[in-house]
Amino acid sequence: MATKIRRLSLTAGWLIVTLVAGLPVFGVVVGLWPSVSISWQDLMVFLAYNGLIVSIANTLLLSLAAPLLAFYVAFIVYSQYRFNPRWQVLEKRLAPLLSLPQLAVALGLVYLFSSGGMLWSALWGVFGHSAPDWLGLPRKSLLTMVLAISLKEVPFFLLILSALGRQLAIKDWLLQGRALGYSEGASWWLLIFPIMLKQSRLALLAAMAYTLSVLDVSLLVGPNIPELYAVVLYNWQTGFSALDQSQAFIGNVVLLAMLGVLIAGIYLHEYLAVRRLGIYAVMANPLKITKLSRLFTMWLGFFSLLSLAILIAFLLWSLGWTNNSAGNTINWSFALWQDEWYFMQGPLLNSINIAFFSSVLGLGLCILALELQQQSQRYLPDYVWLLAILLPQLSMVYGWQVTHSRLSASYNSAWIVLSHLPFTFAYSYLVMRGPFQSLNRHYELVAASFAYTYWQRWWKIRFMLLRPALLSALAIAFSVSIAQYIPTLMLGAGRVTTITTEAVAIASGNQQSITAVYMLVQAVLPFIAFLVASMLAQRMRGSFNAAYQ
Amino acid sequence: MMWLTFKSPKLISSALLSKRLMSLGCLLLLAISPIALRAQEVIKPDLAQLENSEQWQQTLSQAQGETVYFYAWGGSKPVNDYLRWAATEIASRYKVRLRHVKVADISEAVSRLKAEDGSKSAIDLLWINGENFSYLKEQQLLLGELWSHIPNSAMLATQQLSLVNDFGVAIDGFEVPWGVGQFNLMADAKVFQQNTLTPSSLLAAAKQYPERITYPRPPEFHGTTFLKQLLVALSHNDQRLFVAATTQAQAELLPLLWNYLDQLHPLTWQQGKAFPSSNTEQLALLQQQQLLMAVSFNPNQLLKEQSEKGLPASAVRVYFAQGAITNSHNLAIPKGAQSPAGAKVVINFLLSELAQKHKLQGSWGDPAVITPLLDEASTLPAQQELHSSWQQVIEDKWQQKYGA
Repeated sequence: MATKIRRLSLTAGWLIVTLVAGLPVFGVVVGLWPSVSISWQDLMVFLAYNGLIVSIANTLLLSLAAPLLAFYVAFIVYSQYRFNPRWQVLEKRLAPLLSLPQLAVALGLVYLFSSGGMLWSALWGVFGHSAPDWLGLPRKSLLTMVLAISLKEVPFFLLILSALGRQLAIKDWLLQGRALGYSEGASWWLLIFPIMLKQSRLALLAAMAYTLSVLDVSLLVGPNIPELYAVVLYNWQTGFSALDQSQAFIGNVVLLAMLGVLIAGIYLHEYLAVRRLGIYAVMANPLKITKLSRLFTMWLGFFSLLSLAILIAFLLWSLGWTNNSAGNTINWSFALWQDEWYFMQGPLLNSINIAFFSSVLGLGLCILALELQQQSQRYLPDYVWLLAILLPQLSMVYGWQVTHSRLSASYNSAWIVLSHLPFTFAYSYLVMRGPFQSLNRHYELVAASFAYTYWQRWWKIRFMLLRPALLSALAIAFSVSIAQYIPTLMLGAGRVTTITTEAVAIASGNQQSITAVYMLVQAVLPFIAFLVASMLAQRMRGSFNAAYQ
Repeated sequence: MMWLTFKSPKLISSALLSKRLMSLGCLLLLAISPIALRAQEVIKPDLAQLENSEQWQQTLSQAQGETVYFYAWGGSKPVNDYLRWAATEIASRYKVRLRHVKVADISEAVSRLKAEDGSKSAIDLLWINGENFSYLKEQQLLLGELWSHIPNSAMLATQQLSLVNDFGVAIDGFEVPWGVGQFNLMADAKVFQQNTLTPSSLLAAAKQYPERITYPRPPEFHGTTFLKQLLVALSHNDQRLFVAATTQAQAELLPLLWNYLDQLHPLTWQQGKAFPSSNTEQLALLQQQQLLMAVSFNPNQLLKEQSEKGLPASAVRVYFAQGAITNSHNLAIPKGAQSPAGAKVVINFLLSELAQKHKLQGSWGDPAVITPLLDEASTLPAQQELHSSWQQVIEDKWQQKYGA
């Protein structure tokens, strides 16, 4: 009987998990199903699109370079800070750094640092000149785009590495490295980097998939002669004529192929990097990068300053500062805040409500998925679990929407929570997988020998050891849910507005002052989530910290 | 409680006073302009008849208690504020709740209608024009006969404004004009000597101020309209632009535009290696003094920006010498709308004198489309919109020539 119940619950568990992981595929199949027949001629038209090759190449380059760059920076920063009193400061400050929306970072960068941006104007204003054009960040270029994306991804990777680090015996390995005669810097690269790189595959993939299809930032700072691929695809997708629709279908297939290239890129990079490091280890060549690493002790200061500058700029705009106003003629006023606050409360509450349920449920399902795999000793490939992040969102949500209206379902928060679930699930999974798998089973074995039941072991040992990673996952899932625009709008149909549906719509108007108000408010919710998570995490210890601190 | 009782009489008296002043003003206006008077006379009884008709009364009673979900672009604070004002007015007058569903791009609403495929719709009302309208009309996803069912559409200035076509597609009652767009440029005072613009004066300005002039990247429709204006001017208003684009017409007319752009682009912002993504981004660049001009479809935008201190008082409005390409932006009801009666009541209110006046005079400044408020003096000379086939041709060829 007991085994029967167990088998039944196992089946139910698999069913639920497959459903969440399967929703994205279902959405894409329904949403992408060509409404028009695709002919050879359509393919020819597609291939003849001027600048297609450059656009694809640029987009691939960007999607590979920006996340990898961010990962390297994050790793160096992590290695410089980890066993250092400054680590605590960094963990505390990760919250504000993580919570600025990507669009806000991009906006801040160009408005502050481009030629004619606030910073250069202010500096040169002192001398009574206007800043020369060559100085400063180009407004629209691949470089600016790489910078905007990678800057924002560094704190994300730091969070991932920090969650990973709590489960790895880093101190042990550093000690072993020293015993073998390597400097600490070299040990970080030779011993710890390979395993961290391997365990961050999912995070890298998520960041790359995001970069591949990000639209708002591409429109704002991306090069547009030719445009980045996401923009080209968006134009087809929203064109609605038969030709546009067939182009959009082919375009989406190409997007999936590009994703395949990126996955291959991750493995190729890993192979090359590890081989390179292997050669260094054997030849005992000095690692030049360790010298460079010292520079990154300044990262926290630099990044905090940058975030602060962006925040202050947004605050100034929201209070009435414009580029035209000279110092004394500004009419500082809270009018905009007062005007909008009344209309923000409802959306804010909806956001919190939806994000709470979808992040808790998503994390729960993610634990279930990991547990079931562990028990059956069968790990499915990672990308199966990350489909929500990997597949093209617009087509996927369109598929859900078609189904939702076929069912003539109502418009309420429950459907929105369901539509956010695949995303919160996927992000939780990418944070949790590493820590869950590298969990030291020793403790549970000991507990079992003391006659602890399965559930007792689970709650009292495994759950406790996983707490720091769980908190990070919850905070990330929460902020992922907050940031969803398309699923919320499409399934909420305007009956349920969130702060993000408002903010994204308003940001599309490029009006600095009001965009600033909404971006700041939008940043507050993830900020609180990350802050609470980091404060709680400092009081808890992961499996290896338990032994070493 | 004290302040309430103390304040309210004052409030009423001031409201009364302003009402009296307004009616006095109206009387004066009527006395001065006999044309307006005649127009009023013709329309008024007609309107009263329509409003009292059984059909409309039925719509009004059906609409009570309904909630109207209005899908409209949410990127403009003046528009959002205007709709907030309209929502309170409509609620108190008709007991209809108006909800503005803000979208970043109206194509999101079109995509929803496509997904619903004519069945029960989440959208009751939407703000569209151009390609999106032509797609929805062709797919038969819109409710028809709006003009005959909405009394205030009798006031639409069909004689003076081109309100029967939307980018070359006949409206046929599937949407109702809400406002008028007239293509113009907002520019720094020093750039253009006159208030009208020709291709050669634009080129001269670009030479004098290199990298300070540009336009939104087509297929963004402000950018495409900019190219259309140039093409009309360069071809000296060639009549073939107003009928379907034949291969011969394309071969003869388009090179004029490309030759011109070949000269212009090296002088534009970033030497033509990048363009703003939209008119709103271009305006932001003008405000940051990166550019000396920005394009707009709202002829009153300059004044509104100046009063909000978004642009300096010295900035000027210029338009193409052949006339400003003029078109309407419109309101439509999906076939599957859940509150069609409420949506009609909302449209009727938005076409009323009160609402149209508030739209014109408030922070939005969008021109009125009804005869009583038509202000010929501030209306720019209009240029007919090109035949819709030219749009695709220009966008595709531009992409081929300059897109990479």
